Amino acid sequence: MTLPLLGRMALALSLSTAVLGPVAAHAETLSIWARASSSNAAQHMVDLWNASHDDKLELTTIPDNQMVTKLATSVQSGDVPDLISFDLIFMPDFMKAGFLTDLTETLGADPNQAKVAKAFQDLASYDGKLYGTGFTPDVSILLYNKDLFEAAGLDPEKPPVTIAELQDYAAKIHATDPDNISGYYFSGSCGGCNIFTQAPMMWGSGAVLLPTGPDTPVLDGPGVVEVLTMLKDMWEAGIIPESAESDTGANFTATFETGTVGMQGSGGFAISSLKANHPEMNFGIAPLPGIEDGQQSSFVGGDVIAIPSGARNAELAKDFITWSLTDEAQLEGLAKNLILPVRTDLADNEYFQAEPRYITTAQAVGIGQTPYAFHFNDMVNADQSPWLTMIQTAVFDGDVEGAIEEAREAFLDIASD
Amino acid sequence: MAAIRNRHLGLIYVAPALLFVSAFVLYPLGQLVWLSLTDTSLLGGGTWVGLENYAEALDDRAFWRALWFTVKYTVVITPILMGLGFALALLTSQNTPLKLFTRATIFLPVVIGLGTSSLLWYWLLDQQVGLFNKILLDLGLVEAMPVWFTKADPALAAVIVSVTWKVVGFGMILFVAAIQSINSEVIEAAIIDGASYWQRVWRIIIPLSMRTLLLATLISAIGSMLAFEQFYIMTGGNPRGQTFTSVYLIYQNSFISFKLGYGAALSIILTAIILVFSALQVFLSNRSASE
Repeated sequence: MTLPLLGRMALALSLSTAVLGPVAAHAETLSIWARASSSNAAQHMVDLWNASHDDKLELTTIPDNQMVTKLATSVQSGDVPDLISFDLIFMPDFMKAGFLTDLTETLGADPNQAKVAKAFQDLASYDGKLYGTGFTPDVSILLYNKDLFEAAGLDPEKPPVTIAELQDYAAKIHATDPDNISGYYFSGSCGGCNIFTQAPMMWGSGAVLLPTGPDTPVLDGPGVVEVLTMLKDMWEAGIIPESAESDTGANFTATFETGTVGMQGSGGFAISSLKANHPEMNFGIAPLPGIEDGQQSSFVGGDVIAIPSGARNAELAKDFITWSLTDEAQLEGLAKNLILPVRTDLADNEYFQAEPRYITTAQAVGIGQTPYAFHFNDMVNADQSPWLTMIQTAVFDGDVEGAIEEAREAFLDIASD
Repeated sequence: MAAIRNRHLGLIYVAPALLFVSAFVLYPLGQLVWLSLTDTSLLGGGTWVGLENYAEALDDRAFWRALWFTVKYTVVITPILMGLGFALALLTSQNTPLKLFTRATIFLPVVIGLGTSSLLWYWLLDQQVGLFNKILLDLGLVEAMPVWFTKADPALAAVIVSVTWKVVGFGMILFVAAIQSINSEVIEAAIIDGASYWQRVWRIIIPLSMRTLLLATLISAIGSMLAFEQFYIMTGGNPRGQTFTSVYLIYQNSFISFKLGYGAALSIILTAIILVFSALQVFLSNRSASE
């Protein structure tokens, strides 16, 4: 039997494809979504990967407040990106909703995963499985103005190590020029800003803040009353500027940049921002203090990376995730660009030597926590969340105990959903 | 036979519009109603709960507070926009050399997005760096940089000023068109009869512009009932949730708390309120026309 010409050609082509298959396989283009505020860091990682791999990544930036909606609708329509980098606080909700691919096997076999900050490891676990890992972290710290410290007769190299010291220093700074200088600042109408900067002062002393279910501890332990009372006292004494009450976070960084604020909780991002925009400013950073010396803590924020359920190139996406934890990616993709690595063993790296403030910040990633809570948005980020209402009622109305009690009930109510 | 043929022809003519309205208005509205009867979350799932979301809304203090604030905002801003818009229309209808320039200047903010203008005013009124505040300070009108957003009334006033600046030009143009459409012979006859300028305004211009005035009031009132961006950007619903509008509350429930079902129920209630309000306006408008 002789094959017609076309048949023979087809056979030859299929045989050659079978033999040369691996060589001739064409490179893929993977899609990755990152939220806007972390897209700069994500872009560095994408560029580094693309420079050394045949399979390319294409980054799409999503506005921060649209990320949940976009992911939810994309999962429901079945048209998801291959990788997604998002605010870590949504991890519990996304895992519970079944939006993410199980990475237990991949990350379990990766020795670098054990070196990732514990906050990320804990937050990416659900039902005994692992669904993601740290990607581009940021961490809360205490930012202070060294010039104002000096003017108040304080040692600019000795930031406060307890909340009592913080209050004392803030009063002294304010006293140098009560009309123009404030001792402390916080964004009083921003739930997210306050979980980032006030909560570590509470849980550094052992407090548990958010419930994980209707029967779990909430606003429990020392620290909650103490921190709220400290803020209330500073507010009543005029140490905190009046504008703090209505700041929805828009002035979270701008107020300190005016040079009229002694201290405020902020994030590691402030170092680069202040150095670039206010090179004249003499500022220091320190861990956020607790009740006792040695109880310093921080909020580990930033982004996790995961693979949405139904991603078309899940295997290649897993390769990217494991690559992102290598020394090369952590140092050349992140640290070299003055972005914190997620691996705590790389906190003290060659690129941070010239700026010890980065090392302090990177080390804070290791000691920090992230609350594991479902409905985090409802509990904390919503404009009138129980968390924010508690802070406002305690600080601006002066009812600390009542505020905590009311918040406790509201938290448990949300957790029972 | 001809009547049946005409009816079929008519259906063919309206079919594209009917399809469009069905696809982009009726179907989404039906979906919204269905959603409002479930406990659907943005993160998936959702079961039938009947009228539970509506019952929850009636019991929700935040809903009533937001609705009351929205009505208050609408009642305050609508007369300001109408009155000022009409006054500016009268002013720029005078034959002066700067007439067109003045109209263009007042109309200019209309072409800016509401979000952009809200952001602009937010920073102009900022306590630390606000230019507007600094001018007040330099003129000696205030002793310290004022804080606009810590109390509900100053926050509302700040939003009203910014929205008036942004929107008043639109009303002005509508009223200018209404004034110009009045037969000039009527005005001339009044002048010959010795009517003063204000008599002409009260007895001729306003009555003959009434349909436009009512239409503009309806548009403005519906727009105000749906207010969102200006409060989202300038006040964030604060202080203490006292400047939450109904739409803001819907947004918050749907996309921050992920309660899509409840958000849908709030949307339906707001739609019903606006429909009743609009029907009343249309009724008044028709009565005014028939008189």
